[in-house]
Amino acid sequence: MYPRSFHYHRAKSLQEAAAMLAQLGDQAKLLAGGQSLIPLMKLRFANPAHLVDLNFIAGTSYIHSEAGVGEGGYSETGVSEGGVLRFGALTRHAEIENSALAATVPILHDCAAGIADVQIRNRGTIGGSLAEADPSGDWACVLSTLSTEVRCLGASSPERVIPLSEFILDAYTSALQPDELVSEVMVKIPVKGSGGAYLAFKRSAPVYPTASAAVQLTMEGDRCTDVAIALGCVGLTAIKAKDAEAALRGQTLNDKALAAAGEAASAAAEPQDDMRGSADYKRALVGALVKRAIAIAARRAHGEQVEVSHIYA
Amino acid sequence: MADEKQNGKRWVGASLPRKEESRLLRGLGKFADDIKLREMLYLRFVRSPYAHARIVSVDTSAAEALPGVACVLTGAEIAAQTQPFIEIGPGPAQNIKDYPLAVTRARYQGEPVAAVVADSAALADDAAELVQVEYEALDPVMDAEDALTDKSILHEGAATNQVWNGVWEFGDVEQAFRDAAYVVNIDRMHFHRFSSTPLENNVVIGQWDPKDEHIYYQCNNSFPSFAVQFLSSHLGVPIDRIRVQTADIGGSFGIKITSYPQMAVCALASKKAGGRPVKWVESRSEHMVSSAHGNERTFRKTRVALDRDGVITAIDSHHIDDCGAYPRYEPLGCVIWSQVFPGVYRFKNARIDFTQAVTNKCPVGPNRGYSRMQHLWFLERVVDICAHQIGIPADEMRLKNYVRPEEFPYLTPNGCIYDSGNYPKMLEVGKKLIGWDDWKAKQAAARAEGRLIGIGIGTTLDSGTNNFGQSQIVNPYAPFSGNSQGANCKLDIYGEVVVAVGSCPQGQGHETTAAQVVADVLGIHPDKITVRTGFDTERNVHTGFSGTYASQFAVSGLSAVHGAAQKLKAEMKRLAGHVLETTEDDLEFGSGEQGPEVRAKSTGKSINYWGLANIVNVNSAVLPEEMYDVTLNCRYVWRAPFKVPDKERKYGQLTLTYASQLHIAVMEVDRETFIPKILDYVAVDDCGTVINPPIVEGQVYGATAHGIGAALMESCVYDEVGNMLTSTFSDYIPITAVNMPKVKYGHVCTPSPHSYSGAKGMGEGGAAPIHTISAALQDALYASGVFIHDSFNNADSIFRVLAKKEGGQLAELVKLEKRAQANGATK
Ligand SMILES: Cc1cc2nc3c(=O)[nH]c(=O)nc-3n(C[C@H](O)[C@H](O)[C@H](O)COP(=O)(O)OP(=O)(O)OC[C@H]3O[C@@H](n4cnc5c(N)ncnc54)[C@H](O)[C@@H]3O)c2cc1C
Repeated sequence: MYPRSFHYHRAKSLQEAAAMLAQLGDQAKLLAGGQSLIPLMKLRFANPAHLVDLNFIAGTSYIHSEAGVGEGGYSETGVSEGGVLRFGALTRHAEIENSALAATVPILHDCAAGIADVQIRNRGTIGGSLAEADPSGDWACVLSTLSTEVRCLGASSPERVIPLSEFILDAYTSALQPDELVSEVMVKIPVKGSGGAYLAFKRSAPVYPTASAAVQLTMEGDRCTDVAIALGCVGLTAIKAKDAEAALRGQTLNDKALAAAGEAASAAAEPQDDMRGSADYKRALVGALVKRAIAIAARRAHGEQVEVSHIYA
Repeated sequence: MADEKQNGKRWVGASLPRKEESRLLRGLGKFADDIKLREMLYLRFVRSPYAHARIVSVDTSAAEALPGVACVLTGAEIAAQTQPFIEIGPGPAQNIKDYPLAVTRARYQGEPVAAVVADSAALADDAAELVQVEYEALDPVMDAEDALTDKSILHEGAATNQVWNGVWEFGDVEQAFRDAAYVVNIDRMHFHRFSSTPLENNVVIGQWDPKDEHIYYQCNNSFPSFAVQFLSSHLGVPIDRIRVQTADIGGSFGIKITSYPQMAVCALASKKAGGRPVKWVESRSEHMVSSAHGNERTFRKTRVALDRDGVITAIDSHHIDDCGAYPRYEPLGCVIWSQVFPGVYRFKNARIDFTQAVTNKCPVGPNRGYSRMQHLWFLERVVDICAHQIGIPADEMRLKNYVRPEEFPYLTPNGCIYDSGNYPKMLEVGKKLIGWDDWKAKQAAARAEGRLIGIGIGTTLDSGTNNFGQSQIVNPYAPFSGNSQGANCKLDIYGEVVVAVGSCPQGQGHETTAAQVVADVLGIHPDKITVRTGFDTERNVHTGFSGTYASQFAVSGLSAVHGAAQKLKAEMKRLAGHVLETTEDDLEFGSGEQGPEVRAKSTGKSINYWGLANIVNVNSAVLPEEMYDVTLNCRYVWRAPFKVPDKERKYGQLTLTYASQLHIAVMEVDRETFIPKILDYVAVDDCGTVINPPIVEGQVYGATAHGIGAALMESCVYDEVGNMLTSTFSDYIPITAVNMPKVKYGHVCTPSPHSYSGAKGMGEGGAAPIHTISAALQDALYASGVFIHDSFNNADSIFRVLAKKEGGQLAELVKLEKRAQANGATK
């Protein structure tokens, strides 16, 4: 099918795009990579009267690193050796996949390289993915295991920086005001001795995962000193598996600790039945994925180079 | 002069790159959607959101009022000016009224109810939203066994949901059960519904031209000579006035055989729009909900008799086929499975009670492996589970029961003749390729660690070149029998060799293989031969069976091409003999300085093809009168040597050739994620003499991918009220490269005595991976008490059976009786 007819606007700057949103009202939608929006429009599930295209705005697609606290008010008091990676809102998944800078945080590469297929990665953007707040979006899951903040720019309000945990409110619902957009995503670089991994089960490349697990942990010898675990596709938003984290924090990473974390993750999941799998299955699956992601994250925390790929049917 | 042979060998059998490759791989293929005609209109269907509903009213006024809309067509309007489509089934099935748009009732979700025609495709989409249809929901029937209770009837006229029933019985079934040492009872097995998802969806451009009252189609239907027979009687237009052309087709797998209802709507819409051409391009979601799915089949109350050695002596079973809302090409599927009645096995006694029912789902259509794969899967499950139950290793069980190499040509209990084959040899090749003993050892070690590893064998048949007389087993009044294909071979005015075939290939390489056959006849290079493929009614080559379906081109198509080339060669000989003043046996064919030529061995004088064509076409005064019948334009119709089968006994030769496949898979089910993974895979193929090895190999890989997808990923799912839950590629997951294991390819060749070249039809592949994967999973999970009773198994379904014990429990579904007398004798 073809989308309903709509007016097309090409913004020259993010400010202008925000102003257009303010002016055109709720019938307007921003167009980034179009990989979520266009399919919905083609099925006529989304029928915006106006599209504001962000793709021709210069300087919105980049990956920068900054040592210590970045400019522009990166507000977390984190370790200064950590530094910050800054992603322009229009940075494509493929740019992140192919970036040596992003690869210094392996979980970011795992995420970018595992989204859909080449065509979709070439178009889809990190900003669009977070703004869409799809319950199955990979970025929201992965970035919630790192200290992430989202910079938002509005037509009428001053620029603000929102921690990711407060940015995604519900399925398909973000904290953005109607005239606001995402301009940048800021990710704190994990401390030395920290490693992460993102693992999903996907029926094939161009579909969202059945379930996924993101783990970022810090090791001191055999002992896990800090850990963040997030579960994807098993709830209305990515789920922070707090009990699973607690099962690992301060523990030696042995089979028992892993099993406890896996079980706690399964218990934290709130999946639904759909064509990707039954709720019970997803619950079992996500526990298994968490255990495997922990094992890979731990090896990486010890400095090992581990290549991972999602599991495909 | 030289005979342009491939290193002195024949072209047939050579690994010639495909002639069509350059065009297709560079994006220069000619597909139906590439065609844009002047004044062309675009059609969009309005579809029923209900699986079963009465159509109370259809209001088209708002849509018609939209500027740019040419017209809107409803089912009632079509019913008023056409006859319902032909029904192949007998008795009550004759009273099913099938129109291309629903008239009073919608019978599956996605059934077209109205058609909107507008200046652009986007406008047609807009207008389609404005058509107001009022529905009154009726009880949907979603399961074939439920359908047979007739509580809710789909087709009022038929007064029953049963489309067809018949019993195939051969040998002495009851005696075999009395003598059995073992009897295995299997309560229920189920072959799931899936489709083929060709890259290119259906496309039709239809024009009802008021200037000559002809209908012109450009489309990608894959069996046009069948489609025109249905269209002519439906539209009331003589068949000679319906022209169908196809060009390149982006896959069909049989699914595109049943696009004739949409073809009818395009013609009728064109007529209503004053003769402007009307184009319909199917979207992927439309394709998923309403093109055609493959047949779903349930096997109930199966009993298997075996002697004390594990040789199967009899099978008794009830098969219920679900053909969706309209039978269409069905109920041919009710007999087509019997082409492979005993599969690759020797048992002589069997009774199969076969029933087909309509349900509120998308109609089915022939789908790669059509109707035989369901039956072959059934037989493979039977053989496999019996082996497990009695405790016979999988490979030994096959060897005990296979038809033996020395028994070919093998007469099956129902009168089919298996032309050639060597199944034990294929097993040997397969075991060697996979490293059978090695895997057995690894499996034992892995099991000791608690891992779930299984090794499975699937042996199947790809029967090709149908005897259409089998339609008379379904309906004794069906006016069809035999099989034929036409081809034309000519020298054009300047001497070019041009071949035309009545097939419409979708990637099978007909341009290449046809050229190879003619190249051998004339002793010239295949590049010097132009092959016109793609169907065109006005090319006058086709017969009523022409098209591309049912694994037959290597036999029917190439036999026709060969016959036409021989005929042309004979004419060329007569003419050249006259010109060169010599006898015909003094002539040789090949290529000289002036291109392809015919030469007199005795004098060395020659005449090239231009010279021959010149005399016949533009220099005919030099042609002696006794040669006026020489046209250098030769049509040949090849006929399969079939008889009409015995309709009462359901007995006779139903197909000409039987290619065979043997696959072996090693699989592991992950204990924590339940994901089934293929660890190793072998595909051994025997399609007799191979015309072009890379083309055959390509078909084997394609069929293997298709089958793996069907076994592990692809399933058409409906909820209980008939919503199709798999209408996009987010939910229906066609197999892609990342899902494919590395396939080890093996080859065995038993030339067919039934074709001139020894080749057998191939390409469908018998859905070998479905049987093989079921067997491997069975082997992995047997010790866990699981019976692989469904042809579709993914991580979720395995989780439910293994961890939740929801269905699929061996103890509930399979019962082994050991008889005390155990006096079954080995024969
Ligand atoms: C077949 C397929 C498979 C996919 N599989 C996956 C997968 O496995 N994992 C995964 O994570 N994703 C997947 N995706 C989605 C893909 O990653 C999208 O690119 C992403 O979700 C949205 O990014 P976009 O740039 O394409 O956004 P768009 O589609 O352009 O926009 C999405 C929404 O966000 C809004 N928006 C866009 N940019 C901004 C901004 N800067 N500020 C505010 N609002 C904005 C738009 O207005 C729109 O409402 C898949 C997509 C397809 C088509």
